[in-house]
Amino acid sequence: MTAMTTTTITEGAALYRLLAWLSPAYPVGAYTYSHGLETAVEDGVVRDRASLLDYIRTVLLAGAGRVDGALLAAAWRGAVAGDDPALDEVAELAAAWRGSAELALETMAQGTAFTSVTQSAWPEARFAAFAARHPRNLAHPVAFGAAAGFGGLPLRPALTGWLAAFAANLVSAGVRLVPLGQTDGQIATAALHPIVEQATDAALAADLDRLGTAAPALDLFSMRHETQYTRLFRS
Amino acid sequence: MPRDAPALPSRHQRADGAFELGFAASSRGTVLRHLFQQAPLRVLFPDPEPGEPPTAALLNCAGGLAGGDALRQAVRLEAGAQATLCTAAAEKLYRSLGPETRIETRLTLGAGAVLEWLPQETILFDGARMARRMQAELAEGARLLAVEMLVFGRAAAGERMRAGSVFDSWRLRGPGGLLWADALALEAPGEQLTAPFGFGGAESMAMLLLAAPEAEAMRDLLREAGAAATLPRPGLLLARWLGGASTVRRAVGAAIAAVREGALGRPPRLPRLWTI
Repeated sequence: MTAMTTTTITEGAALYRLLAWLSPAYPVGAYTYSHGLETAVEDGVVRDRASLLDYIRTVLLAGAGRVDGALLAAAWRGAVAGDDPALDEVAELAAAWRGSAELALETMAQGTAFTSVTQSAWPEARFAAFAARHPRNLAHPVAFGAAAGFGGLPLRPALTGWLAAFAANLVSAGVRLVPLGQTDGQIATAALHPIVEQATDAALAADLDRLGTAAPALDLFSMRHETQYTRLFRS
Repeated sequence: MPRDAPALPSRHQRADGAFELGFAASSRGTVLRHLFQQAPLRVLFPDPEPGEPPTAALLNCAGGLAGGDALRQAVRLEAGAQATLCTAAAEKLYRSLGPETRIETRLTLGAGAVLEWLPQETILFDGARMARRMQAELAEGARLLAVEMLVFGRAAAGERMRAGSVFDSWRLRGPGGLLWADALALEAPGEQLTAPFGFGGAESMAMLLLAAPEAEAMRDLLREAGAAATLPRPGLLLARWLGGASTVRRAVGAAIAAVREGALGRPPRLPRLWTI
């Protein structure tokens, strides 16, 4: 007898759940965050599809995408192994990994909303116990990764999906801010596919003990967003 | 292992430096209670100027660090103690033939203790490989002002870091658990340092961290001075700079002076061995 409990669900059920949790209609408020992009557009350094792609590519490979992907994978593994101490350690690390006040708000508010709606719509006892140990203190990738692990979703599609939704949300913010046409936005989303796959591979191979970012410029955009005069977004 | 044990034979002489410092509060103010130093690290104690707490200046007698070298640094302040740590010069990391240069630092602050961790910049030569870890632990009411600055290549000689690697991590714990975590992981410096949304071609970066009730007031002060500053959580100020080495150094120096006066009630100047 081990602590490991594997939940098996059908491929269709897993896909259905993944689509629901990653849909822009899932009420976590993703559309209110630009991850510093609003400042980059204000500065004129993101001004077209190419520069928007470069920004999102850096976020995914060298910024929050890098850290969040690794945390998501670690939370999924902790949940699947039934390893509460490991899961709690990931939750604590994610809640402390804060580049700025607004980036902290972005991940913690979405994590809190995701936890709350998922407990109501897709109740699961082990996820509820995990959430109860970290009241209103789960970062979005950790809440999502743990829910996916407890819910029997396979890791790679969950990771790719989460990173794709993150990327698509930034594309959407870019479409509104630059502005770009809707089709231009979808061309950007299509172009980001190999980057999302690359970020997925990096997250699967990541060692939490050597995890880090390499994009201080993104942190500076976010910090300066706090004092930007006109703002549509919360980050 | 006894400290006078014969050195193991080795083809390459690797530095394994260390120091431990312990300060405690007494009726005469803060006093040094524990000192251990192992070459090539040495600790100097310049006479503090009026209004300054005990100051310790670290000196690397080897002049710089090579791949395979290691430093272990530990500072402990008992409850109510106050101290300032700085370095006598900029630290240099030479090009590595493969192994990383490892630097481990542990800062432990008792209740109400006040520590300034103000090393001068670390200059990463092209090809240097640094793995640095900072762990700071704050008891109730402790205050920490910390600054770190990295220069990517010998900027003064026009060198840029293209090869090598940097891993530089921070973990800050308070009485209730982990307060802040951060790490820089630079694996392809040639590409990442020039990426427009990575480092944007900056030759250096710096950060200032303040854990103190005055964090919010100091954030506003640094913003007025043009710095990018934020409160990752209440009571914790983080400011960052990215740009030319001398510009960043001057801005960090000015920020240290302003924050130590505003948050720690100390004279608005840099530790003696810091020169701008």
